[in-house]
Amino acid sequence: MNTWIKQIMDSPTRVAIPIMTHPGIEESGKKVFDAVTDGEVHFQAIKAVSDTFNTAACTVIMDLTVEAQAFGCSIRMPEHEIPNVIGRLIYDQETTENLEVPSLSTARVPEYLKANRLAVENIKNKPILSGCIGPFSLAGRLYDMSEIMVSIYIEPDVIQTLLEKCTKFLISYCQELKAIGTAGVVIAEPAAGLLSDEDCRQYSSVYVKQIVEAVQDDTFTVILHNCGNTGQCTPAMIETGAAALHFGNAVDMEATLKACPNDILVMGNIDPVGILKQATSDKVYEETTKLLEKTKLYRNFVLSSGCDMPPGVPMANIKAFYQALNDFNSK
Amino acid sequence: MTDILNQLGLCVEFGKINQASPYPPTMKGQPGASELTKEILEKGANPQDILNTALVPAMNRVGNKFTEGKIFVPQMLLSAKAMNESMKFLKPYFLSGEIKRKGVFIIGTVAGDLHDIGKNLVGMMVEGAGWEVVDLGVDVSAEKYIQALDEHPGAVCGMSALLTTTMSNMHPMITTIREKHPNTKIIVGGAPLNAQFAAEIGADAYGRDPQDDINWLNSIAS
Repeated sequence: MNTWIKQIMDSPTRVAIPIMTHPGIEESGKKVFDAVTDGEVHFQAIKAVSDTFNTAACTVIMDLTVEAQAFGCSIRMPEHEIPNVIGRLIYDQETTENLEVPSLSTARVPEYLKANRLAVENIKNKPILSGCIGPFSLAGRLYDMSEIMVSIYIEPDVIQTLLEKCTKFLISYCQELKAIGTAGVVIAEPAAGLLSDEDCRQYSSVYVKQIVEAVQDDTFTVILHNCGNTGQCTPAMIETGAAALHFGNAVDMEATLKACPNDILVMGNIDPVGILKQATSDKVYEETTKLLEKTKLYRNFVLSSGCDMPPGVPMANIKAFYQALNDFNSK
Repeated sequence: MTDILNQLGLCVEFGKINQASPYPPTMKGQPGASELTKEILEKGANPQDILNTALVPAMNRVGNKFTEGKIFVPQMLLSAKAMNESMKFLKPYFLSGEIKRKGVFIIGTVAGDLHDIGKNLVGMMVEGAGWEVVDLGVDVSAEKYIQALDEHPGAVCGMSALLTTTMSNMHPMITTIREKHPNTKIIVGGAPLNAQFAAEIGADAYGRDPQDDINWLNSIAS
């Protein structure tokens, strides 16, 4: 078993790893735009979160446009939110076959590598978890999300070619993150959650598994995040071989823990918007406590947000999240 | 005629767009929604019957299966595409007024937001439920809604948002729209939203999924 995972499972207390960098961006007095374009600012946000909260590992910005931009997608970059992909890069078999797999020196990839490198060099007391997009979610950004959903049935060969190219890039990206010295990578594959379990296996898990086989070992963990999954494709997520699975708030965490092997980490799933951002701190405390109580028999559970914590989450709510954890652990 | 209408309903329900489409594998090589609609019209079927007895019930079955978790986004989109193929043949009858629809639904993704898969799904499903849909696209301002309402007085509006940052644009947009068109009914939806948020911003309803939107729209149309 992976060393880091064994430490968590052997821990006498429950640990929390919310996916959050936006509170760090806000704490640093910077804008989202600054953090997604400048590796130094990004790192300072990671460090601010690490310095402020008792998180068991550091996470990076869940920016699902970095890789698509490297492939050539146009990006719109607002000041206070994560970037968006504009339009469509790939249309058909010809454009798919002509698509070049980019190098890691393309677009904003070097800035993201820089942020990871600085985090590894300067945050010594916690593991750093990198991040990247999943293959199907990346392919959807290149091909258009609505169109790829239809084309997996109409032109499956084209989509498989596209997925192979996406996977090739992601393997190279994850290998570089591993070489930098991070402890693992959170692969965000939310679009695969819109598929049935069978389609999720065929158009996501097969490719995620290739990434897992290329990078996962005792020192490097793949955490597969799929907040689109409503429970139907949990078996497909397990099939990837990822040592940790991260779930969104659409699943019942207790049922999910029952469905997952007990030797992989199962992480989640406080609603990042409806609870963490919009509810009162009392409600955050109540929901977090409820989740901790429901999952207390499972050594492989890690408390987390159901997705990347969005900009503008009140500090009092994050504190309530941690207060609930501390009170639970003090019992 | 009933047999062909039933077959057309099955094509829409199972996403058989046309004869050339390989999906679904069990209907490979068979005529799809496109060919069957053409054939039915040539045989003299009433266009309103095609809509009411084949397309609307089929899309209703699709919406219910999606809500129940029996099908997923790809299958729903394929059904919507099959329905759209059929609708192409019915378009002249809509324009001439021979087919009556339940009302006009203006839909868009809110200002600042470029995500459209949820909006597209809702638009196609609502059209399949017998409404005329005016799709304003993504990053839609209040002014564009107002312009569309000027052209379609009494229309119902739908707004979608995927981002927590752009969902906050809904409230000022609703306020602006209602300053010009005070009685406009508005339904909102999108992954980060919930019914409480919808109520707080003055929306008339929250659509959890496409069928939810359709059920609400039909309730106010009747």
